[in-house]
Amino acid sequence: MASVPIEHALILAGVLFILGLTGVIVRRNIFFILLSIEIMLNAAGLAFVAAGARWGAADGQVMFIFILTMAAAEVSVGLALVLRLVGRFRTLDVDAASQLRG
Amino acid sequence: MDIVFYAAAAVAVFSTAMVITRLNAVHALLYMITSLLAVALVFVTLGAPFVAVLEVIIYAGAIMVLFVFVVMMLNLGEEAVEQERRWLEPALWRGPAALAAVLLVQLLYVFLAGGGEASATAVVEPREISLALFGPYLLGVELASFLLLAGLVGAYHLGRREEI
Amino acid sequence: MSAPDLIALLPLLIVAATTLAAMLLIAFYRHHQATAGVTVAGLLLALASLSLTTPHIPRVVTPLLVVDGYALFFLGLVLATTAVVTALSYRYLEPAAENVEEYYLLLLMGALGGGVLISARHFVSFFLGLELLSVSLYTLVAYTRSQSHRIEAGLKYLILAGTASAFLLFGLALVYAEQGHLVFEDVVLSDPSLFLLSGMGLLIVGVAFKLALAPFHLWTPDVYQGAPAPVTAFVATVSKGAVFALLFRFFGGVRIAEQPALLAAFGAIAILSMLAGNLLALVQDNVKRILAYSSIAHLGYLTIAFLVGGELGQTAAAFYLAIYFVTTLTAFGVVTWLSTAEEEAEALDDYRGLFRRSPHLAGIFTVALLSLAGIPPTAGLISKVYVALAGVSVSLWAPLLVLVAGSVAGVFYYMRIVITMWRDPAGDEQAVSFSAGHAPAGYLILNGLTLALLALGVYPFFLIQIIERALGAGG
Repeated sequence: MASVPIEHALILAGVLFILGLTGVIVRRNIFFILLSIEIMLNAAGLAFVAAGARWGAADGQVMFIFILTMAAAEVSVGLALVLRLVGRFRTLDVDAASQLRG
Repeated sequence: MDIVFYAAAAVAVFSTAMVITRLNAVHALLYMITSLLAVALVFVTLGAPFVAVLEVIIYAGAIMVLFVFVVMMLNLGEEAVEQERRWLEPALWRGPAALAAVLLVQLLYVFLAGGGEASATAVVEPREISLALFGPYLLGVELASFLLLAGLVGAYHLGRREEI
Repeated sequence: MSAPDLIALLPLLIVAATTLAAMLLIAFYRHHQATAGVTVAGLLLALASLSLTTPHIPRVVTPLLVVDGYALFFLGLVLATTAVVTALSYRYLEPAAENVEEYYLLLLMGALGGGVLISARHFVSFFLGLELLSVSLYTLVAYTRSQSHRIEAGLKYLILAGTASAFLLFGLALVYAEQGHLVFEDVVLSDPSLFLLSGMGLLIVGVAFKLALAPFHLWTPDVYQGAPAPVTAFVATVSKGAVFALLFRFFGGVRIAEQPALLAAFGAIAILSMLAGNLLALVQDNVKRILAYSSIAHLGYLTIAFLVGGELGQTAAAFYLAIYFVTTLTAFGVVTWLSTAEEEAEALDDYRGLFRRSPHLAGIFTVALLSLAGIPPTAGLISKVYVALAGVSVSLWAPLLVLVAGSVAGVFYYMRIVITMWRDPAGDEQAVSFSAGHAPAGYLILNGLTLALLALGVYPFFLIQIIERALGAGG
């Protein structure tokens, strides 16, 4: 039984990454944008694990654990900001909050 | 083993595509969890069972629960009940449920087929990861704790009620 | 880890310990002045410990960090800058109607992240340092959260920095898939594979986002305008300086000018940044936005030093960054002095008649603006000439041409602020007092920074010698 080529795993990571990026660009709802950033970070983590599998080393997985940590820290701050935003503007639409224009 | 990988990959891509196209936040979250579970399965086929477990516990478990909490906090009042009724319509959660079922079958297949052995990719044991984390990456672990502290302080300050 | 390892890490350890000490202090005794005092004391202690560290360099501490002369120079710069920002923040935050103590914790953690970035030699420390800096900044940008534009700026910064991090990580993963280890060395091969090229491309996008280089600069003006003034100063200096220092370390001794693909990518980024920064600054009516676009242009100038690479490029970049730090701190110091957490002096009209209301403060702002524009006798001229000469040595004609043209355009918008300060005030505005009265530290610092700008403009060799000695000690 042949094993999965690493390239295929990286392709999967790439597809997920692009989907996440699409989400960040297309969506206006801040909630979905944060979810899409999570998708992108998770895809980057997948790429690290796949790369680690290529070399049979623990480094890729260690990196994944750190990415997980970072995602948690970022999401906690991000969601706290979302709560503030809704408390202030009563909307999740990022474009609605646009006082900063030059 | 191959077929598991490709099937899980297909599920992951499909449910991720669903996440970014849903209109309802809870549906998106359900698809997101499905996608994360599929990626966890991919990790198993890549010889990374420990990371697969972390993906389920921390990503699909803890981080997604944070999102769910926020959804709950944002939908207060009478309209929330109305929304809840719409959320509970079977037609809307049938998709994520079916995908999760596919993943479950795949997981069973992996375990029945003998787990990691079927893959030619070497399995990196949790022991190796722990040794790496508390050996060369010791400072990384310390920094990660500071990163979480920064997140904690930030979320505490921003999330506190405006009582003044 | 052995004792010399710990001594080499002493400055970073002191900053980390100060964070914890300040946090415990807040837990038991919430007091603004005490927290700010502990923060400054810790930062000064960390600065002092640099001299203890010096005999032990260069030293690689675990695979993650390297402490050498280069790291210590930038570490000193970051620590001193953070101390200055802390002192400026104190007066600014005093009237804020909410808890202000956590601000200092986040500032310390941001400085720690910057310090880790500067000494990183491994993808893990690169990534963790960068994120520690970014996550602290998300909250700092939105810190005075009762104002809605702060929340908006914080969210925008979070979305774009999060996306940039994802790009960076994906790029690093591809590089790792190709080279099989996570240490920065020989990353650039003479015959790069497709994997490595695409990895590098993603990585450059991520770094350019963080440095606010064009065409990835769109977040900068909004965040600069929306963030509290002292935080803006921190973003403009520590955050960008640390990432730039890392960029040099990442590409190591590679002479970028000899790598066609990298030269094209970074050359285009440099030219676009100089153009976008200088041209868009011309049409702004908000001082913070003008300074934001000006910082984009300055990072473009700095990228020329990066293109030169090697020892010459490093010295030029270190000199330019040091001067840029002092100048930016002075400029934002004046903006901070005129602002409080409740109300900021950011519109150009707020500066009308400043020469009449407070000639001393207006004079300081003028010196800072002249230095940003690169007009003698300020240090800004010397640093720009230094970078330009470094560029000439490897014949980077196209970016140099844009540098000169951009500097000319720059004179217009910097002078516009100076002229505004001479004009009659729009309405009945009360006189601003600029004296040591209620904030002696901020007063002394602003005067000191201004003197440094003038002194280094007349006699720059002092700083150049320090840099050459630091880089010589195992750079």
